[in-house]
Amino acid sequence: MTEQLASMDFHPRPQAGEPKPWAFPAPERGVLPNGLTVLRCHRPGQQVVAVEVHLDAPLDAEPAGLDGVATIMARAFSEGTDKHSAEEFAAELERCGATWDAHADHPGVRVSLEVPVSRLPKALALLADALRAPAFEDSEIERLVRNRLDEIPHETANPAIRAAKELSKHLFPAGSRLSRPRQGSEETVAAVETGAVRAFYEKHVRPAAATAVVVGDLAGTDLDALLADTLGGWTGGTASPRTVQPVTADDTGRVVIVDRPGAVQTQLRIGRIGPDKHDRAWAAQVLGTYCLGGTLTSRLDRVLREEKGYTYGVRAYAQPLLSTREGTGAAMLSISGSVDTPNTAPALEDLWKVLRTLAAEGLTDAERDTAVQNLVGVAPLKFETAAAVASTLADQVEQQLPDDFQAQLYRQLVETGTVEATAAVVSAFPADRLVTILVGDAAQIEEPVRALGLGEVTVVKG
Amino acid sequence: MPMGHTATAEAGSGGLTATEHRLANGLRVILSEDHLTPVAAVCLWYDVGSRHEVKGRTGLAHLFEHLMFQGSGQVKGNGHFELVQGAGGSLNGTTSFERTNYFETMPAHQLELALWLEADRMGSLLTALDDESMENQRDVVKNERRQRYDNVPYGTAFEKLTALVYPEGHPYHHTPIGSMDDLDAATLDDARAFFRTYYAPNNAVLSVVGDIDPEQTLAWVEKYFGTIPAHDGKPAPRDGALPDVMGQQVREVVEEEVPARALMAAYRLPQDDTRACDAADIALTVLGGGESSRLYNRLVRRDRTAVAAGFGMLRLAGAPSLGWLDVKTSGDVEVPVIEAAVDEELARFAEEGPSEEEMERAQAQLEREWLDRLGTVAGRADSLCRYAVLFGDPQRALTAVQRILEVSAEEVREVARQRLRPDNRAVLVYEPTTPAEAAEADGESAESHQSHESDEEAGA
Repeated sequence: MTEQLASMDFHPRPQAGEPKPWAFPAPERGVLPNGLTVLRCHRPGQQVVAVEVHLDAPLDAEPAGLDGVATIMARAFSEGTDKHSAEEFAAELERCGATWDAHADHPGVRVSLEVPVSRLPKALALLADALRAPAFEDSEIERLVRNRLDEIPHETANPAIRAAKELSKHLFPAGSRLSRPRQGSEETVAAVETGAVRAFYEKHVRPAAATAVVVGDLAGTDLDALLADTLGGWTGGTASPRTVQPVTADDTGRVVIVDRPGAVQTQLRIGRIGPDKHDRAWAAQVLGTYCLGGTLTSRLDRVLREEKGYTYGVRAYAQPLLSTREGTGAAMLSISGSVDTPNTAPALEDLWKVLRTLAAEGLTDAERDTAVQNLVGVAPLKFETAAAVASTLADQVEQQLPDDFQAQLYRQLVETGTVEATAAVVSAFPADRLVTILVGDAAQIEEPVRALGLGEVTVVKG
Repeated sequence: MPMGHTATAEAGSGGLTATEHRLANGLRVILSEDHLTPVAAVCLWYDVGSRHEVKGRTGLAHLFEHLMFQGSGQVKGNGHFELVQGAGGSLNGTTSFERTNYFETMPAHQLELALWLEADRMGSLLTALDDESMENQRDVVKNERRQRYDNVPYGTAFEKLTALVYPEGHPYHHTPIGSMDDLDAATLDDARAFFRTYYAPNNAVLSVVGDIDPEQTLAWVEKYFGTIPAHDGKPAPRDGALPDVMGQQVREVVEEEVPARALMAAYRLPQDDTRACDAADIALTVLGGGESSRLYNRLVRRDRTAVAAGFGMLRLAGAPSLGWLDVKTSGDVEVPVIEAAVDEELARFAEEGPSEEEMERAQAQLEREWLDRLGTVAGRADSLCRYAVLFGDPQRALTAVQRILEVSAEEVREVARQRLRPDNRAVLVYEPTTPAEAAEADGESAESHQSHESDEEAGA
């Protein structure tokens, strides 16, 4: 092997060149005569245009016992309009070379469309039809309900999805919509009928309570005329202000094992709630969380993966859950990954050791510097496509943030010091205030996990 | 030095260009300028994949890919990851049947660092490779296997289908993740021999795409890679040629703890970079790509016997490509009901071919997929390497979409008639069991997740 070393000329590690300026794009904001807010952003060279529509129809607006009605409505948008049957609508979309996604989440319903710019007029017309005049035919709604019911067992069988659902169930108060599955349970979805879908639509979907984001190479497009011809034709009443309950959670340290006899791995989901993007500590929390578990060389994987080999990778996240400009919202803070069954307790022990060491000794300046350089440096790559820009702009809208939030965040990250980042991550992941969900083989993992003293341990059926 | 191709856009390339160069040690280099965003993608393909592995050592190419991130002559430990991420870049590596690739996407002013790092491990990996990293990454890869395949429903379906379509002893009979036993058996000497055999400049293609100065970039490539010695002695991969059609249907019924019955099937299709392969891609898109496809309309919309139904395609250069059918049943529907409907639709399609409208839709979908792929610097860098390594001509990456648009409806019908037949497929049927039954049946609970990917990544 020395032959390899001997035969190549080595050079010192090169220094970086002169950085080129880049900034997160500033959208142009406007309102159409029908009340629809429009954010647009010209991105030269992006031939695939991304359109995102946020509808202010949050999950907690679903009527009692009908969890999932927002999901069924979102899916039904592409199942026929006053101009096209369900099959025709799908065919027309694909004829544009478009992709379409619609889903309901806590802050509202999102419809995402991507299409080559040459076919944007046709695709925007379809989008406008779907929002303005969805058919909601009985037969299609019945099919969507049954399809959704068929999906639930597949999700339950998936350890990562199962763990996420279980965490919400334990973290949030029983009466909170946040504690229940976003797309409903078998019982509530089965109760959804056309009448309920239409009622939800009529109550919550209107241009004055919606925002459309359009991003891409718009140089050859008269977007004003195009919008007037399409989304401009959608009508509806004015929007009334909405009150949102403050998000609360019980993060008493405890462990729930979802029993999966014979599972070769244990899926971990460890979490609580914390500050969202309206909090002054957000930038510091992003930075600290990255140092804890943002990548393969962060503190968690440095031990759990690269030293011990217990896992393919464990990540720590802070994901906004439901936000308001008043600051009553929250982000889900969590640590997620899977470890082999025999090493479940040793992995958890190491994980808690990492958290305690972090709290006791803090981050190093070098860690902080690398994290800032990565988080800020990757921005031009992260936002190379129109879809990435559009999705972030729409997230800002649904979280009630200013349009320049992302641009400001990069400035704040650069200014955030090691001490602030340490304080934020230690406060985000306190060792004694975490709810731990383990989807795995209880017969093998329960006793060793109990011995770790992470709080009360309960076992539920898988 | 340029080999004839200049930076003039070819017809049908959407204005994209690429130039080709070759160092004295055989390293092929492809450059493509694009100054829209201040980023640069570096992509390095080594012409080695799981098809080069030998019996008893499946999974070695992928395990080795992980070792490439464990340090080299001038890079300590996880330094490769740390330096790239610390420079604001992103990176990874993946292994498939036919190649191993490594890539970094960097802010444009950090391009030189990525080149230095790739050259360092190409030239000096073995000075850093030790038992500790070998043992550690063996455990990581075994956990990758558990996480992505063994611990999710239907997760081993793809592995089972390839094993049925490509016979025992065929280089594509096993998938890149390999078996647990073989991962356990791999030694440090195997890894060293693997590097000495396959990791050489003359067995690789490097592409650099984005906001670059081609002359400067080429000078850096020469400086860092130019003195890495070439070496020959790489054995040719075992021949992957097989008859066009299997000649008979093979079938496996899996009784496992899965949430629903499933019908899956894999068809042998024409090899990549042929007109017939593009025609097959269109056929599968019309039949099972998206929510206006024939199978979706029939099974999910009209018969309402399935919760999901579609076709996927794995294009292969060194063996017949693979078309993959995946249908999950709705409620209590039995598999034969689904199978009869699928056969009817395939037979009808082979008889009548696609309608004009279906051709338009399928071609529009495939065109957008190509625009997406070529629309990012990393996607373009990877596509250029792909066509250079597998087909000897990177320029074909830029005109691939044009070729899809040239295929006729008659060619689509013809490939369906020849290939999408019951005697040219392997069928995999899933019948769910309760946990207790599963334990009785085979003593293991191999739940899995349906993944069409054949790529194994270094980073989670």
